Order: sequence, then structure tokens, then C-alpha cells
Amino acid sequence: MNFAHHQIAEGVDLYLCETDKFATVTVKVFIQDSLALETAAANALIPLVLIQGTKSYPTRVELVQKMENLYGAAFWTDVEKIGERQILEFYFDVAAPHLIPNGRQVLREGLAAFGELITDPLAEGGAFHRDFFHKEQANLAKMVAGIINDKQAYAVWQAVKAMCKGEPYGLYKYGEREQIEKLEPEAVYAHYQELLQSNPIAIFVVGQSLEELPELIGAWPWRRKALKELPPVSVKEEVREQEIIETQDVHQAVLVMGYRTAQRYLSPDYYGLLVANGILGAFPHSKLFVNVREKASLAYYVDSSLEGSKGLLTVTAGIAPQSYGQAVEIIRRQVAELQYGTISDDELNRTKIGLISGIRKMLDDPAAVIDRNLIGLVHKELRSPQMVMERIAAVTKEQVQKAAQGLQLDTVYCLSGPKGEA
Amino acid sequence: MQIYMTITNELLHCGKTANGLPVLALPKKGFQKKYAVFAAHYGSLDSEFEVPGKGVIKVPDGIAHFLEHKLFEDETIPVFERFAKYGASVNAYTSYNMTAYLFSTIDYFPEALGELLHFVQTPYLTEENVAKERGIIEQELRMYDDHPDRRIYRNLLTALYHNHPIRLDVGGTVESIRDITVELLWECYRLFYQPANMAVAVVGDVDAAEVMDIVDSQVEQWRFQAQQIKRLLPEEPDSVNQPWIEERMSISQPRYYLGFKHNKYLTGRELLKQQLAMNMIWHSLGARSSPVFAKLYADGLINDSFEAGFHGSPQYAFSMVGGETDDPEKLDRALRDAIAGLVDSKLGAELVERMKRHILGSYLTAFNSLDYLANSLISHWFHGTSYLDVPEALESLTVDEINQCLSEALKPEWSAVSVLLPE
Repeated sequence: MNFAHHQIAEGVDLYLCETDKFATVTVKVFIQDSLALETAAANALIPLVLIQGTKSYPTRVELVQKMENLYGAAFWTDVEKIGERQILEFYFDVAAPHLIPNGRQVLREGLAAFGELITDPLAEGGAFHRDFFHKEQANLAKMVAGIINDKQAYAVWQAVKAMCKGEPYGLYKYGEREQIEKLEPEAVYAHYQELLQSNPIAIFVVGQSLEELPELIGAWPWRRKALKELPPVSVKEEVREQEIIETQDVHQAVLVMGYRTAQRYLSPDYYGLLVANGILGAFPHSKLFVNVREKASLAYYVDSSLEGSKGLLTVTAGIAPQSYGQAVEIIRRQVAELQYGTISDDELNRTKIGLISGIRKMLDDPAAVIDRNLIGLVHKELRSPQMVMERIAAVTKEQVQKAAQGLQLDTVYCLSGPKGEA
Repeated sequence: MQIYMTITNELLHCGKTANGLPVLALPKKGFQKKYAVFAAHYGSLDSEFEVPGKGVIKVPDGIAHFLEHKLFEDETIPVFERFAKYGASVNAYTSYNMTAYLFSTIDYFPEALGELLHFVQTPYLTEENVAKERGIIEQELRMYDDHPDRRIYRNLLTALYHNHPIRLDVGGTVESIRDITVELLWECYRLFYQPANMAVAVVGDVDAAEVMDIVDSQVEQWRFQAQQIKRLLPEEPDSVNQPWIEERMSISQPRYYLGFKHNKYLTGRELLKQQLAMNMIWHSLGARSSPVFAKLYADGLINDSFEAGFHGSPQYAFSMVGGETDDPEKLDRALRDAIAGLVDSKLGAELVERMKRHILGSYLTAFNSLDYLANSLISHWFHGTSYLDVPEALESLTVDEINQCLSEALKPEWSAVSVLLPE
């Protein structure tokens, strides 16, 4: 599952993975920008507007009907956040040419429509289509307000926001309400033209018989200028040591503990940190699951996850409000155990096998084959699955302990409520 | 073993062990992962049944799901650890009519398959471990209580149905699980966990004959008592329980769902065709390619959360359509008008042809996902259908059949609305 690189234009890189494993051809396009207060809302809005219609298919109904006729070609757009980058994301897949009638032609037509959606948007007088723009602007504002609907995601975001206040990472990937309301179709269109002309763009394709792809994608109307350099992620050493309790009318409390890590993607012992996170809370054999759920019966879910670009580790658990103190104590103790080096051979080996299996399983999913490169893209260092697996396999107990010793608890946040009493 | 060819030119092998356990194996070359499901045709709807010699038994709601949790208990080595040893990840889920135990692994597939078959055959239930599980499941249920999607869905089914157990959460309630005992868990286990009421599906780069051999040898010693299962569903009137239900919770925007109960439960090929026809009907209304969707969207009545779909099995059938909206009443009127309009105007040949292509393309895409394939093979098996028959059933479905389904299915008197409002 390795990618061959083709340069389409200055700062436009095409990566092709030729394989007969899948029933589809899958394409993803990523346009990177810095995560910043001035542009976050605009970058979140652009993908929503683009999908409403193109020059050839000027309404969404026509565009989607076209794709349905191409044997259910699928497409969607979104925005991602990796470290302090915001990434506009465009997805397209179509049935593999050999499995459908006129497969080659279907692929060509689908790619052309998808390319037009990204590179040559529907515009009027140097601005996005005004109706589409204002409708999606209102929808985006509602979407941002809607984070409160998912209590777990809400709690994690509140914790991270409090932790990274004043840093770009503390900005929401869909922008903030005040910024969204200020957006205008002219300025956002001009900003998107700049992204298309100067920001790093990567295109990944996974599937069979891809020899035509460099030509087909090269034929999209690229109008590139000099490639813009984006700044690296900012690093903060000191921690806040804060405790935040928020009350809402919820049935279950969500506890989030946010740690800063000493290692990040480009650190020499990054993989020690990856294994430390695995032993702590990424698996059902991990310390958190065994001690918080299986032994203390406090939670249905409890896990830890790592943001390796910015260097954050967050532990999340759904608990009864009255278990707050006990849960915090047990979680702190598990992190302390890792820091003391209380790590059994079984824990180390099972975690390494689990992480390596996870990477190999990704290779069975075309979208995952692509997405696993995002962190490397941001850091300009793509790593092959083989290399990452070797690095994980080589991690020692001492490296895990060292990574754990670099963990500093910054924020304890709890979304609590009155309804959870037994 | 019988062998069938898939649309992607792969081979599905179907066999049965000596004691009657069906085994479905779909080898997929070049994939790293091997995925296996061992499932019982037993879910949350099976809360009332007849046991020979004991008469009719009514068990507490949520017991199938509780049993699913408890089968992970082991007297010596925790089940999660048994799989972690092989780098395999194990999980399980319970639905209305199925309890599925599954794992995926890269290496040690025969060993992991052996573990799966073993732990499901050997419950270890004690007063203490059953009590401990209540705390965990209670937190699981409370988590769902804070999910607006789950709440509006459950409320809709409560509004549609008077007595049918589909009204209830698969996991039961915090109260009902307090009545679950070791004895009741055993009662359900003995009745529903017998080979003829279960099935195994394996998808991945495996050898079908080897899979068959492993399953054969692992279930040879299985001690069970073959019993006939008599599931009892309470009498359910055609009418709805209540036409409109509302609840408040801390959400950012109101949500609206319109549901239809379909009072004809089908099985086998009829069910497959009903599913396809209803999918097309809802697609023509709720998909992004639909002028109805475009109009409601342009009028600001819906957003991209809007969805429409049919859910059917031999034990239940209903449809639901809706999403977030600022004005539930206005959306209700507009949507009912659109549905009445569709019933009048019917689906045209061009639309049906486009949707056939779309569904066929999506069906093909599913062959990328081992998990999806294995679970679909099993659920179709329990429904008396075959997942491999989808393309043929799709091809044979006529415009008239779809419109026949349309005219029968969407009667206003069989519909109910569930609304969630911000506090």
C-alpha cells in the first residue's frame, strides 16, 4: 500500500496507490491552511458552499443526480483539524471500472465533475453564489451551536479549549459564531482563490488501473502561483493545573483529563509516547479499561487518545456524577503507574501488537489508507506503514516510561448534572 | 458446502456443522484483516417465549444485552486478554433480533476463532459478577439518555407502537436490569444459544475449508439441549399509540421525526424486495438528489441532518424521516404534503433506473468492508434472505411493484411524530 508521487503543479502533489484489492477507486483532496482566528470560519464554510452546485451542474440536485447515474459515485466535503492546521477535505469514490458497464467513462466523468467542484467553483461577479453562501453561513452557525448536542464531544472540546486558550489549537475547526456571522461572499471567494493558488494541496488516490489519473487530474483548471509556507505548530511547556466543573441537565457526567506531552510527531521517541497511550487507555486490555471499568465498575466507556501533532493526551470517561473524585483518583494512579515504570511484558507486547494490527487493518480500508498520511502531510514527513510498524515494534519499556514521565496534567474538566443520582 | 459467486467474482461458501450450526465463509484475497462473527438469533424483542415444560416466560427487558455483556466473563483469564494475546480485538453488540460476538485479527486467526467459539459456549455467571455488571450497564444506558438521536428515536417508536417490544431500548432500563438474575440469564442462554439458532460468518483472506474444520472441531463437544423456540409477540393494533410526542432536553435546535408503522412483516425474498422498494421511495424524497429535499432545504426547514429510511425484518417494519429543524409544525405540514404528492404522482421509470444504478454502486462499495459484509451475511441469514441476492432482486424489481408498495405503505393514520425541543 505504498504511494507513487507525481507533481501536478507547484505545491500540488498527487499520490497514487495502485491495488486490485478494492471494489472502488477512492480519491481525497486536501488543501492545507494555518488554523487562525481570521480564516477558520471561512475555511469551514467553503466546503459547505462548494457542494451546493458547480458550473456544469448548477444545483446540488443536478450534481447528485449526475453522480447517482455514475453508479452511485459518492462525494462529500468537510474540514479537518490536525495540530494547528485546518485542512479542507474533499472525498470522491466510484465503483472500480472493471465492475460496471462503461467503467472507464464513468470514472472520467466522475473525476471531471469532482475536479470542477474543487478547482472551478460556481461564482458570480468575484463572489460565491450569494444564495448558497448565506444559506450555508446560517447552517454553519447552527452546526457550531450544535456541539452541545453531543455531550461527550462537547466535554472534550470544552476541556481542550480551556487547556489551549490563547493558542491557535484552542480554535474550533468549524470557526466561532462571531467570525461566521462576519463572513461575506466576496472576501471568502477571494480567500479560496488564494488557497487554490498558493496553499499546499495533496491528492491521494487508491484503486485499480490508475495510469490515466495524472493526466485526468492534471487537466483540472489549476492556476498555481508561488507555494506559501505555513508555520509549524506552536509548543507550550507550562501547564495550568486547573479544575473546571460545568453543570448541565445531563444523566451522565463526562470527565475529561487533559495532559500535555513532551513528545510529538517529529520527536525521536514519538513512538514511545504512542505505546504509552496504548498501555494507558487505547484498548480493552489497557490500564484505564481494566481499572476504571472492569474493577471499579464506574464507567461504560473510558479511554485515552493522543493528538500527536500538538502534543495532547486526553482521557475521557462517562461516569455517575458522584463518582467524580474516585474516578479522577484512579485515572491519576494509572498515569503514575506508567511513570513509575509499572508495565508488564504482557501490557507492552499486547499494546504493540494492537497498534501494529491497527495499522495493518487500516490498509484494508481505502479511506484509512489515505487518512493515515494526514499527520505526515502537515509535518512534511510521510511515513510508510512498514516504517511505523518497525518503529513501534522497537519501543522499549524505558522509552514508554520516559514518554509517560513527560505527561503533565493540565486540565481536569467535568460536565456534570443532577439527573445521574441512583 | 455450497458455493455462490458474488458480484465481485468472489466465492461465498455455506456449510453446516454436524450439530446444525450454519457457517458462512467469504474468502477475500489480499486483505490483511480476518473478521468473524458468531451470532445468536436472539435480541431485545425476544422477551416473552414458551419453554417446554415451563409454559410462557416473560423476562426483564434488556436481558439479551445483559447476557451479551456477561459472556465476556471468564473464570480464569478475562476474554479481552485472551484476544489481546493474538493482537485480535473482540467486541459484541445486541440488536432487536440478534446478539453478535465478533473479532478481527491479522495473525493467529485459527486460535482467535477458537477463542470466539469457546467463550460464547461457556458462560461464567455468578451473583457477584452479575451485580458488578449492573453498574457498567447503568452507565451505558445513562449515556444513551443524553443522546438526542436515541431519545427522539425511542420516543417515536413509543408513539407508533402500543405493545410491541420494539418500543423499548435494546438495553432495557436502569430499573428493568435490576430484576435480572443468574437464573434468568441461564434460562435465556439455554433456550437461544443452541447451534440451530445461531450462525458463524467469516470474511477475509482465509481458507473456507479450514474455517469449516475449526468450527466443526470447536462445537463438537458443545453441550446443549435442542429445543424448539416459540417466540411470543404481544398483540399489536394497526393504529398508532399516540400521533404526536414531545420532549425537552438540552439541545441547540428542535428535531422532528415522522414515523410510519408498516403492519405487514415479510420474510425472505419478499422482505428483500420490500427493503429495496422502500429504500427507493425514501431516497426519492429524502436524498440530496431529490427536488423535495431541495425545496425543504431552500425554505430553511431542514439541514444536512435530514434523513429518511425503512427498517424491516420478519418481526417489525417501520419507516422514519426527519432531522433538525427550526419549525417542527411547519416541517410536518410540508413533509406530509410532499408524501401525499409522491403517493399521487408515483415514481417514474427514469428515477427508478437512476436509483437502481445508485443502489448497485453502493452495494459494490460495501465489498470493501469486511465488517459490513460479515454482519450483513449474518443478519440476512436470520431474516431468511441472502445478501448475495440483492443485485438480482434489484434488477427484477419493477416500477409497478415499487408504486404498489408506495400506495400501501404510507398511510397518514399509521404515522406518528416525535419532536425534541430545546429546554
